[in-house]
Amino acid sequence: MAECGEISMMLGAFEDSELEPNEMQEVAFHLARCESCTGILADYSTLGRDLRSIAAEPSLAGFSSAVIARVDRLPQPVLTRIARLLRRQVDSLGAGLAWGGAVAAVAVLTIVLMTPLAQQFANRSASPGSSIATATHEAAPAANQVAQAASNEPTMADNDSHADISRLESENHSVAVWSEPRRDTTVIWLPDQP
Amino acid sequence: MERYQRRVVGVALAVVHNQDDAIELAQETFVRAYENLAKFESRSSFSTWLYRIAANLAIDFWRREGRHVVLRGEDAENEIGKLPTTTGDSFKEVSRSELSARLKQALEELTPEHRAVILLREVEGMSYDEISDVLQCPRGTVMSRLHYARTHLRTILKDVAGS
Repeated sequence: MAECGEISMMLGAFEDSELEPNEMQEVAFHLARCESCTGILADYSTLGRDLRSIAAEPSLAGFSSAVIARVDRLPQPVLTRIARLLRRQVDSLGAGLAWGGAVAAVAVLTIVLMTPLAQQFANRSASPGSSIATATHEAAPAANQVAQAASNEPTMADNDSHADISRLESENHSVAVWSEPRRDTTVIWLPDQP
Repeated sequence: MERYQRRVVGVALAVVHNQDDAIELAQETFVRAYENLAKFESRSSFSTWLYRIAANLAIDFWRREGRHVVLRGEDAENEIGKLPTTTGDSFKEVSRSELSARLKQALEELTPEHRAVILLREVEGMSYDEISDVLQCPRGTVMSRLHYARTHLRTILKDVAGS
């Protein structure tokens, strides 16, 4: 059996469960037969409880704000100050760019939606005549010729550059019927007969 | 900060054994951590790094202040006067308030290193390895300091009980 002097060195660590398994076993074996060491161990346990009971719980109200205030008072190195200033400038520039972009987008939208030029562009791109002419060009040789004739028609082109074919009304590929609403005219096209 | 502040104060308190000083040192710990965050290496956990700063600051503070006082002035004299003259043979029989007062005195009689290990273990519940990391000393030193601190406190309290 181990001597009390040897075991007493390990009693605290035994109480804290910080010994190796074989040492824990050795101390436990000794304690089972030694009242003196058992008494010391009990005192250590009581001592731990007493230390915890007298431990003050300090008030930490305002702790964080006090630390933040101290950090704010720290003298900043020159490089840090410059970096911080630049960062602030970049931040404000970024915000300016974002605002500028937004304003530019609104301006472009306004131009597109509100100005006569944009309306004209919108009308032209949405003109049924052109799409019909294109569609007809693919689908019907007669309509293709009509479209070409319409665009090449000197009187039309000369007299009214805005003449446009609003719709083709004939489903017969060899005959084309179209209306010109600006002239209030309906044109019927027949191919030359051989 | 909220996560660590209580234990950082606990570490400082274990060394300096004065609440106001401990709170001041704990605040300084966070300021130092903020200043040296770039130097933090992940070899230890962030909490261990923080507690180590606190322990170093507290030990430096203690040494700077030169508080190697066994008993403190009039307060200590008064506390001694309050000690029981006749008691039983176990310190468990001493009244709680007397025991607390004597225990606080006994803690002050320890060196900051010995007081730190026993308070970090018993009050903060740190393992030997954690204490070893925080105080930057070998595990064996933690064990021997703990043994010394416990034996010393037990002897003093036994004396109180037996006086």
